[in-house]
Amino acid sequence: MSDTLTPDVIGRRVEVNGEHATVRFAGVVPPVAGPWLGVEWDNPERGKHDGSHEGTVYFKCRHPTGGSFIRPNKVNFGTDFLTAIKNRYVLEDGPEEDRKEQIVTLGNKPVETVGFDSLMKQQSQLSKLQEVSLRNCAVSCAGEKGGVAEACPNIRRVDLSKNLLSSWDEVIHIADQLRHLEVLNLSENKLKFPSGSALTGTFSALKVLVLNQTGITWAEAHVQCGSSRHERCQQVRGPVHGAEFSTSNCVISAKDIYPSEFLFQVLRCAAWCPGLEELYLESNNIVISERPTDVLQTVKLLDLSSNQLIDENQLYLIAHLPRLEQLILSDVGISSIHFPDAGIGTCFPVAGSNFCKSSTKHTAFHLFPFAVFQWSFFNELDKLPSLRALSCLRNPLTKEDKEANMTRQLIIASIGQLKTLNKCEILPKERRTAELDYRKAFGNEWKQAGGHQDPDKNRLSEEFLRAHPRYQFLCLKYGAPEDWELKTQQPFMLKNQLLTLKIKYPDQLDQKVLEKQLPGSMTIQKVKGWLSRLLKVPVSDLLLSYESPKLRPHDDIKLSLDKIKLENDLQSLRFYSVENEDCLLVRW
Amino acid sequence: MRECLSIHIGQAGIQIGDACWELYCLEHGIQPNGVVLDSQPDQLENAKMEHTNASFDTFFCETRAGKHVPRALFVDLEPTVIDGIRTGQRRSLFHPEQLLSGKEDAANNYARGRYSVGSKIIDLVLERTRKLAEQCGGLQGFLIFRSFGGGTGSGFTSLLMERLTGEYSRKTKLEFSVYPAPRISTAVVEPYNCVLTTHSTTEHTDCTFIVDNEAIYDICQRKLGVERPSYASINRLMVQAVSSITASLRFEGPLNVDLIEFQTNLVPYPRIHFPMTAFAPIVSADKAYREQFSVSDITTACFESSNQLVKCDPRLGKYMACCLLYRGDVVPKEVNAAIAATKLRHSVQFVDWCPTGFKVGINNRPPTVMPGGDLAKVHRAVCMLSNTTAIVEAWARLDHKFDLMYAKRAFLHWYLREGMEEAEFLEAREDLAALERDYEEVGQSF
Repeated sequence: MSDTLTPDVIGRRVEVNGEHATVRFAGVVPPVAGPWLGVEWDNPERGKHDGSHEGTVYFKCRHPTGGSFIRPNKVNFGTDFLTAIKNRYVLEDGPEEDRKEQIVTLGNKPVETVGFDSLMKQQSQLSKLQEVSLRNCAVSCAGEKGGVAEACPNIRRVDLSKNLLSSWDEVIHIADQLRHLEVLNLSENKLKFPSGSALTGTFSALKVLVLNQTGITWAEAHVQCGSSRHERCQQVRGPVHGAEFSTSNCVISAKDIYPSEFLFQVLRCAAWCPGLEELYLESNNIVISERPTDVLQTVKLLDLSSNQLIDENQLYLIAHLPRLEQLILSDVGISSIHFPDAGIGTCFPVAGSNFCKSSTKHTAFHLFPFAVFQWSFFNELDKLPSLRALSCLRNPLTKEDKEANMTRQLIIASIGQLKTLNKCEILPKERRTAELDYRKAFGNEWKQAGGHQDPDKNRLSEEFLRAHPRYQFLCLKYGAPEDWELKTQQPFMLKNQLLTLKIKYPDQLDQKVLEKQLPGSMTIQKVKGWLSRLLKVPVSDLLLSYESPKLRPHDDIKLSLDKIKLENDLQSLRFYSVENEDCLLVRW
Repeated sequence: MRECLSIHIGQAGIQIGDACWELYCLEHGIQPNGVVLDSQPDQLENAKMEHTNASFDTFFCETRAGKHVPRALFVDLEPTVIDGIRTGQRRSLFHPEQLLSGKEDAANNYARGRYSVGSKIIDLVLERTRKLAEQCGGLQGFLIFRSFGGGTGSGFTSLLMERLTGEYSRKTKLEFSVYPAPRISTAVVEPYNCVLTTHSTTEHTDCTFIVDNEAIYDICQRKLGVERPSYASINRLMVQAVSSITASLRFEGPLNVDLIEFQTNLVPYPRIHFPMTAFAPIVSADKAYREQFSVSDITTACFESSNQLVKCDPRLGKYMACCLLYRGDVVPKEVNAAIAATKLRHSVQFVDWCPTGFKVGINNRPPTVMPGGDLAKVHRAVCMLSNTTAIVEAWARLDHKFDLMYAKRAFLHWYLREGMEEAEFLEAREDLAALERDYEEVGQSF
């Protein structure tokens, strides 16, 4: 193990009993004899101290209990790429007894396997391998030059997640040898920025790049930068501009706003991969700081989920990616969104953009009533002309079961071009229902804001237009809401059923005009009975009719219409369409 | 030449069939018009294509013009659903003779499907089946897709199964059946249809893989984030399991794991032939790379009830047999490790009398997903078929519903009107009671 204690061991990634760490120190720690490695754990709870021992600072850790000293022989520095492949896929030529031992029993029943032998033989032919999955296989380096290219040149998809790769140099060495590489998964590796630049063409065939949870070590760069961090960052940024890399997905720590080196990894990676179509950057604490103009132009899918530092302003910067079709934004720091009306909103070329918002953080940030947040958010999305699919499950707005249906309708009505919501197709009928409901639900507000059925008198307030930008369009589509539509239905109670009637006596002008509330369901017989008691006139002598201010008599039918006789004693007042404010005429 | 004929019956069968052939075509690189997508630029890809082509003969028949026609027959007693295929994207994939529809539907009535309406079309169906069978060098068996609840699915299938047994007595008949879900129901008479059809097809079927809509609906909602799953989403998920099951028949090579071999393992008694299906991983497309699915992860997952395609609790029963069908980038030693780990984690209880019970196969072709679908593309998947006594729960539930209605003779007149007799109901119900007892018996220890 003495050879591993050369200074270049510092910065390497190691594995100890399944836990991953980065080597920060190698040497002697008095008073204990022998070589030690000082490591910083990925999981800070695993360590004991911050790199200092008995007053001497051997190395620095981000976390006060992130560091440990470990004997070099307990540490796994990993293997090279080819060995890892061989370990996983190549059949060991062990004796037959070994094979026997492999038979698993469940309870006391042996497990029968079918076709394992031939499968193993086939997988052993490395040159035919197209897909290699080496997750958690402790790969730390590329190995001999050309070795990979010779053994398995046809690999297309490589999963190198959760390995011990410490630097992009090694990744580039591996990728250099794989001509057909299309999918590369480097999640959960903590990669240092490469010393040299990648050869052009290294990632020429690459279509999918996965870099989930790789940015956790942005602080590593800080440690290395040391005091000159600021200058170095400036320096790096300079050439970037010179070479017209105008994109940079910056990683900024919560404590420190200087961009670390990792951000340039993302930015440079993008430049290396001219044909990149899918880029996954989940959980990286990324901050988008510049508009990509030269790189990422072919990207169709961008996953920025779980990057809490992304806010609405940063979204404009990626708004100009010409091919972007899908954007995954679950659990990001966006609490509201606003696209300037004419400019960027319309040039957001997202064809079928898929905003997946599933953050529960929103409630924490936003103490607005849900509705306020909702309108601004979905109305802004309406400005994206090619938005086709939207998923927004598990967020504060759609959480409640009871209102899920309601929310769905409102979203559909607010975003006109949407075809799929929460992975369910929106059928024309559903859209129509939703839009009609929306039109009706906000009709009263519209009325108050100055809306009118007659286009000439229609003077809507700015405020309303801002809150309901599609309302005018819906009025054009379905017609403006009529007054009767906007009346709220009263609950069915006797109180609401009462008709206020004036009771007149055209033949007895000396009698006072009486105003009375009667239920609409009262029969004529009952009305007459009540009147006879009131007027002391026998029931049989009473003749009832009514006139209504609504029945503006036409000339010819004047006589017959303005007084409607209430003849049938068994019918109710409602049967004769007696309405509020009508006049009941009583004769005898 | 071990060809398989697929017969899709009734609305459920046809819609599943549509999704099924869509996926098969995708897996074998066949375009919707039946032409194989070839001329890959590099040789390796071509070699792979040849390798693939060599074996899908079992499911596709190549015409002299180079088109590949599915060995499938679609039958329905009314035309609307089949018209969907006749006018759909894959209209030129099928020969018009493969799409058979009557004019009068079975109206959710077993009696109509089997007797009055079904008997008019059965001879035509058998003739078409014969035609398809004659194109085969050595017919291996039939795969039948249908639902238990519908009129055509229950009634016509039982009639067809009887006739198929008569004509092709030695051929295997496997069923993929949609079992009436406990809470979601499309017809009130589902329990009648289901009991009647189970009774009349038990002796004609070799193995029935049952799935239920409610279980898949829940998976779609919970795991895939589909707010209101449509039949299309449900079917696309279900055919992933179907594809895994039939993969061994469609992809040849030294690793061919024959389904028939598994079936021998799965069915210890002729009547106990209702294995439960589970599938893993089920992950939505936008989380494709966010979660990792190692062999042990997916093995563990398929023992969880949330990945089952039938609603029942496997902890309440004992396993008689269990088959794990892996696909994709799976290494034997990982499988062994995963199963050993399962042993520690789960109380997988086997019946005493079964000497082995656990069988594992690997097919190295990774699963394919529909582009733009809800499912994410994964490198590996596993489909578990397990014959467990827990499934008796499903039958008991169904029998109970049957009893409730039959006690009052509710809805019975619809069946009697078509010429059935009450005795048939009693007989079927007794048979189901016997099936429940059979399950109880096999679960008992010595």
